[in-house]
Amino acid sequence: MSSIAILIWVINVTLDTVGHIALKFAAVADKEESTELARWKSMLGSFPLWIGIVCFCLEFVVWLAFLSVLSLSQGVLLGAINMVSIVIAGRLVFKENLDRMRLLGMALITLGVIFVGIYG
Amino acid sequence: MKKTKFYILGFSALMLCDTLTQISFKLASNHGGEFAMQLEWFISIFSQPWIYGAVLGYLGSFIAWMTLLKHAPVGPAFAASHLEVVLVLVVSAVYFGDRLAPMQIVGAFLIVLGIVCLSFSEADKENVEAH
Repeated sequence: MSSIAILIWVINVTLDTVGHIALKFAAVADKEESTELARWKSMLGSFPLWIGIVCFCLEFVVWLAFLSVLSLSQGVLLGAINMVSIVIAGRLVFKENLDRMRLLGMALITLGVIFVGIYG
Repeated sequence: MKKTKFYILGFSALMLCDTLTQISFKLASNHGGEFAMQLEWFISIFSQPWIYGAVLGYLGSFIAWMTLLKHAPVGPAFAASHLEVVLVLVVSAVYFGDRLAPMQIVGAFLIVLGIVCLSFSEADKENVEAH
């Protein structure tokens, strides 16, 4: 992997993780509203929701840049590390549960991504 | 519609939309050439149709995902939403001629196994919450 590919990859992982955490913040901060419309209105005024939307818009362009320097197969496999970073962030920020199966899944994905990255 | 038929259709739609999105992304980025922090690169990317294929694919995935989540257990739904990796690998080998090194194939296998483990964890979480 070239240094530009690694840089774009790190930016992509960061944007995806921050985006998901921001959306989770918006969802859990959601106040009890009487109607679905009122709930959406309240959510649309939420600052974290907009951080999430901006992150995903930027990620759209960053993913294009990533695929321009790597093959599609390598890109999607390396992109799998996002699942691991989101689970870790969920644990750190929201104290989400990490059971054995989840830890095993994270370890397997990380190992797989290392193989794909090193031998690419 | 029978439940099984609904799941098969829903999961297939989700995987197909996700795969369409990734193929469109690749075709769009091929058109723009290697990334350069220049206006020309962005114009080249956004002035051809594949980028809109990616947007459509995203939209389709979103609709399929939300429909599935309403009825399907979250574990298998999570797996289907990430196991498009397998279909993308097949398409990129056949259509783009991508070749992975043997150790990368081992890596791909580990990633898929990891996704399956995460899906089981999601299913367990749902079962615990249901009781």
